[in-house]
Amino acid sequence: MVAVNDSGYGANLAAVNRIYSIFEDILAWVSAAGIFLLMFFGTAQIVMAKIFNYPIFGYIDLVEQSIALFAFLAVAYCQRLGGHVRMELIISRFSGRTFWFAEVLSILASMVFIALMISPSYGHFLRAWEAGDSTINAEIAIWPTKLMVPVALTILWLRLFLQFLGYFRLFLTPTATPIAVPLVLDVEEQAEGEIQDALGDDYKADADEDAKQ
Amino acid sequence: MIDMEPLTIGIIGIFALMGLVFIGVRVFIAAGAVGMAGLIAIIGWDAGVGMAGTIPHSKSLTYVLSVLPMFILIGYLAFHAGMTQAVFEAARKWLGWLPGGLAVATVFATAGFAAVSGASTATAAVFARTAIPEMLRHGYDRRLAAGVVAAGGTLASLIPPSAILVLYAIIVEESVGQLLLAGFIPGIISAVIYAVIIVTRVMVSPEMAPKTERFQLFPALKATPGTWPIVAVIAIIFSAIYNGWATPTDAGALGAFVVFSVALYRGMTANKLKEALLETAKLTVMIFSIIWGVLVFVRFMGFAGLPAAFADLLTGLDMSPTLIIIMILIGYAILGMFMDGIGMLLLTLPIVYPAVIALGYDSIWFGIIVVKMVEVCLITPPIGLNCYVVHGVRPDIPLQDVFRGIGLFFVADILTVALFIAYPEIITWLPDLVAGRG
Repeated sequence: MVAVNDSGYGANLAAVNRIYSIFEDILAWVSAAGIFLLMFFGTAQIVMAKIFNYPIFGYIDLVEQSIALFAFLAVAYCQRLGGHVRMELIISRFSGRTFWFAEVLSILASMVFIALMISPSYGHFLRAWEAGDSTINAEIAIWPTKLMVPVALTILWLRLFLQFLGYFRLFLTPTATPIAVPLVLDVEEQAEGEIQDALGDDYKADADEDAKQ
Repeated sequence: MIDMEPLTIGIIGIFALMGLVFIGVRVFIAAGAVGMAGLIAIIGWDAGVGMAGTIPHSKSLTYVLSVLPMFILIGYLAFHAGMTQAVFEAARKWLGWLPGGLAVATVFATAGFAAVSGASTATAAVFARTAIPEMLRHGYDRRLAAGVVAAGGTLASLIPPSAILVLYAIIVEESVGQLLLAGFIPGIISAVIYAVIIVTRVMVSPEMAPKTERFQLFPALKATPGTWPIVAVIAIIFSAIYNGWATPTDAGALGAFVVFSVALYRGMTANKLKEALLETAKLTVMIFSIIWGVLVFVRFMGFAGLPAAFADLLTGLDMSPTLIIIMILIGYAILGMFMDGIGMLLLTLPIVYPAVIALGYDSIWFGIIVVKMVEVCLITPPIGLNCYVVHGVRPDIPLQDVFRGIGLFFVADILTVALFIAYPEIITWLPDLVAGRG
């Protein structure tokens, strides 16, 4: 049996998680930049087409291909932050080791599925690469966006693996501080998060002040 | 391949999906995994895996989907454009003289802001800070004050821009533009019904909301320009689709650009912009992941023939279609108590939708009804996230008071849905007019 030295396991996991998060952040940035540029690009298309009567050549093709930036690249970033929708009502009733065991199971199922998706999506890219597929109007090569799918899924798989290590560590030592896993929030904590997002940190002070009046 | 009837495999698939969702697997993975396993079982390993693997790229990179990040971006930027106070002031100047006038003003202010921001819960948070103090200061019943803020945010999904209506359109392969148009009138009617129910309630018990304001035209006119960014965004998207001068994506991009400019003008910092963009990227990838995950599942369901079988089952029932539709809606209300709206909608539509169509209902009509149901779930216990948000911002108002305050609006929502069932033309009139269908 392998003895798990929690301080070593936890510290190493935290270090890897930190470095990997930077990488995911960069991809999320690329994704965000894609969306920001699309805003300008769409506005420019309206101006060009309606005011100058000169629509941007290959506009639809370009927009379609740009979707790959924000449809796939940030998938691991979103997984790290617990942003993908799931139903927590039942598992949040569990606690301690049972809870972490459920998380381990759910991550394992996810890893199997994503692993199975990587190879056929790579095959999809390879066929486009070999055939030299391109979009109909502007003749933009399609392979780069097709390649983004297996790449993003591989990055997601590695993130799932880190989460697996994180959950497995908590399964072994339920009292340890969670590392590299998103936490399950109850409805009050979710509400708190929503409020923080919408109002920033100063809302409590305001509420207290109003209550006094 | 497994030697079993495809339909049986489909039914096993439904249970497997429920099992995975219940143990907390992310919805996009649960749907995709069951979809892939089902395809493998029906058409074999190579074909099944191969088919699932091509779906993310082939289904995501379609032009109509590019509208989603634009609508989401408008929402995140809207919070930095400083529009909430202005819109509340304008609504108050115009409507404050009515019985329960501040609450009525809150309904229209939240409806307008929620439509643009697209975020019910965040709208509830913002107005809990803006409108509740005003109402309490004027002696309004705190249950009414809290209830109207929690309920007002739910008007977000019907009035354009609405990301959830776009999602519905994509999953059922309807026109995005027509759905966005179709939501407009029901959205306004929902708000009016909220207003009517407030006025009626306050006329019965005037002590709930002391009369505070008198209508004066000049101040009302003066307060109106503050609402222009909201009016502009809704008008751009509505008129682009109505008159066809731009695609929803382009109109969304222009709308986002307008809100972005206003936010910059109001002093949005680089840090806030960065936050808004990253949040947009996160929500966008979440939605795209669910789309392709669910579409893998939809492909499996198609091979299993389950949607058709379910439709046959429902149409074969010795029950009136109206009763069946009401039962389906009750099912959504129950499911919505336990699940996020987007996840619930995308997971159930592939099976429920063909049955609803087979019963003879209009696809656009059903989209509006079902999205309205998703919103109602944001205010019903046990989760009712909006109520928790209002209580979170105003800890001095007990949670049970917020839920009690919501009761009135829940009744209003039931009346609204009943109205849409009785008079479906309310929903279909505008899209029919534009598309010249029917």
